[in-house]
Amino acid sequence: MIEIRIGLGSCGVASGAGPVRDALEGAAHKLGARGAIKAVGCNGMCYREPMVEVAGPDGQVTLYSHVTPQTAPLIVRKHLRRGRFPGGEPRPDSGTSERIVLENCGQIDPLRIDDYIARGGYRALATCRAELSPQQVIDTITAAGLRGRGGAGFPTGRKWAMGRAQSSPVKYVICNGDEGDPGAFMDRLVLESDPHRVVEGLAVAAYAVGAAEGYFYIRTEYPLAVERVRAAISHAQQRGILDGVRLEVREGAGAFVCGEETALIQSLEGKRGMPRLRPPYPVEKGFRGQPTVINNVETLACVPWILRRGAAAFAALGTPASRGTKVFSLAGKVNRGGLIEVPMGITIREVVEKIGGGIRGGRQFKAVQMGGPSGGCIPARLADTPIDYEALAQTGAIMGSGGLVVLDDRDCMVDIARFFLKFTQAESCGKCTFCRIGTKRMLEILERLCEGNGRPDDLEKLETLADYVGRASLCGLGQTAPNPVLTTLRYFREEYEAHLHQRRCPAGRCPALIRYGVTDNCIGCTLCAQACPVGAIAYRPYEKHAVDDRLCTRCDMCRQVCQDDAIEVI
Amino acid sequence: MSRRRWAWISGCVAALCVAILIADYLAALRRPLDSKIPAERLRITAARLSRKQRDDRAAWVLMAAAAAFLACARQGARPKVPKPARLAATMVRRPPPPAVAPVAPEIEFSAFVEDAIARLGRGKESAIPLLQAIQAHYRYLPDEALRHLCALTEITPAEIAGTSSFYARFRRSPVGKHVVRVCHGTACHVAGARQITDELRRYLAIPEGADTDPARQFTIDEVACLGCCSLAPVLMVDGRPAGKLTPVTACEALRDDV
Repeated sequence: MIEIRIGLGSCGVASGAGPVRDALEGAAHKLGARGAIKAVGCNGMCYREPMVEVAGPDGQVTLYSHVTPQTAPLIVRKHLRRGRFPGGEPRPDSGTSERIVLENCGQIDPLRIDDYIARGGYRALATCRAELSPQQVIDTITAAGLRGRGGAGFPTGRKWAMGRAQSSPVKYVICNGDEGDPGAFMDRLVLESDPHRVVEGLAVAAYAVGAAEGYFYIRTEYPLAVERVRAAISHAQQRGILDGVRLEVREGAGAFVCGEETALIQSLEGKRGMPRLRPPYPVEKGFRGQPTVINNVETLACVPWILRRGAAAFAALGTPASRGTKVFSLAGKVNRGGLIEVPMGITIREVVEKIGGGIRGGRQFKAVQMGGPSGGCIPARLADTPIDYEALAQTGAIMGSGGLVVLDDRDCMVDIARFFLKFTQAESCGKCTFCRIGTKRMLEILERLCEGNGRPDDLEKLETLADYVGRASLCGLGQTAPNPVLTTLRYFREEYEAHLHQRRCPAGRCPALIRYGVTDNCIGCTLCAQACPVGAIAYRPYEKHAVDDRLCTRCDMCRQVCQDDAIEVI
Repeated sequence: MSRRRWAWISGCVAALCVAILIADYLAALRRPLDSKIPAERLRITAARLSRKQRDDRAAWVLMAAAAAFLACARQGARPKVPKPARLAATMVRRPPPPAVAPVAPEIEFSAFVEDAIARLGRGKESAIPLLQAIQAHYRYLPDEALRHLCALTEITPAEIAGTSSFYARFRRSPVGKHVVRVCHGTACHVAGARQITDELRRYLAIPEGADTDPARQFTIDEVACLGCCSLAPVLMVDGRPAGKLTPVTACEALRDDV
């Protein structure tokens, strides 16, 4: 039986997979094989979208990237009627020996529970209920060495054991799907492409902890994920798989701080999402004042696999302290962006160069930003750092939830620090003074630097403030807010100094510090003059153009349209 | 005589002149006969000369007639009937027509709010789902609906004010017909999200400090991350994502929606 899979995750839809699906279905319908088309989630190779995978009867998988509605029928005919269509390639090696979290992503129809069951789904839950005591489940997870994938890396088995030890009759489990880090989309992809896996994980957690109620807290920016998890829960309920545990989906409302567990609980209770002092930890006193176990989407997605394959199989992957695999969303200036699952302990260089295919446009690899606004920038010279919780912490960055944004030599590190601080400043809930006002002052300094108005003592002041903010904030948001600034200051101090003393942006990025000019490559084609939205380039055919600096808004349009590389940033 | 009539006459004269000129031009294109007879040569030369003079005159008349035609036609044309305000009107770079203050239609709030409360519960915990339902329905949080909500549930006005102002997704002012969410995540930032937003604002002529264009067609919303980082820069028009944008294709992505 031939199966033609079309990826319809958010990334696929954004690349135009909708019309491709219609074209595939139309062509298959004509050949009387409508059932061959299957809408799946994303398999992680977002850079190839819209992508079609054809699984032949012999299990061989052929992959077509950048499919258009015009080429789609040709692919259908090629595989169903022996038509001819050049192209297609075997699926490339995903870069890891084993896929755990992404096992089913891009392989199954997320809305069909039978697909998931056919691939061993809900077997772990059934085994737990029939054969294992809750304590045995916790022991298995502890033996596997699973650590929280949300960023902090707290051992999951220990958290569950603490939840189980609480004497309260009412307990809750919560799946934290409030993936707010800009640059991270692992949870979105897993929830969209394989929602049943997370539902099963949460049901197992509920069984182990002894909770009768579970909540999914999913950020509202992921409408497709919300919809699919809701569908998955209702399908599983209809089958009677979720008997004994009531699961519900709650949408966030756009607050980054709600990814912090105490803030998340406040938000679930209908209040402003402001973190509170810990202890008591949520596992003692959480949602509605009852013991609550909160796990990240990816953590829960590992759980069914561990129970199915055994703790030893999981522990065999990774490093002694960080076991298993980690999913990263690889984005930024790499050739092959997308979702990757790698064993812990792999080096950053391997990820960027082997899996990511190197830097786009042949430019120079400068740094990776890991862990979003709580993390930091790791420079290219430290690219041999292995990816595990401890080694990353030593560089000043953190594992974080798994956002990995690759930066090239055209990215200004001061601008990156300013970007993240602007984000944390806007997302600070305002409870702690240092987080509320300290980040604001830091942001002002960085904005001054980016505009070329830095003051001599700004760098020292920035470091002092960073120290205060980190120490005097209650929750993770404030404590880690200075990290992007501290790491860039540590590894790229010369860039800060160039902004401060020479009023120059070495990467050519900060609008106030750059000018656009035309080189002698100019052939006078007027493309830039046509593209300029503010009319800063006079329309003079066959003459070397010139940019009027007074009108120029540094929108970069001229450089992008120029065919001859004649626009330079000075 | 009316201007309209003059326009007609001058137009006809101009057309006639053009016809003469074209006919003479075609005649001149023909290869001249190379006659050996002197009288015949003289005749040909005379014919050419007269044609040239005729053309000169026709050209002068054409210019005059065209000027008269333009002058009369412009003033004589009927005043244009303004077209109904269409989306396309906002799509040009010209400043769009002055905004008509949106008249808040008399919306019946009670029925929807009561229905939402019946579905979602009236406890304090339902505050966020209720606000989400109201926002999904009205596309913002109208004061009337919130007052009604407070009257019917355990949630106090202070709590509503606190919650609705805390979360970025809740808005208290009406939105345009389409909501454009421009991603400002890390990957999109390094790929030029700032330039995209600036260009869209210019393109839609959104004034400084506002987020909606004067014709209330598009609202630009800068969001943290849409989670399509490998397609950066990304935006979402009414829930439909578009990726790998440049400032130009971003504007085109909006045009598709018209």
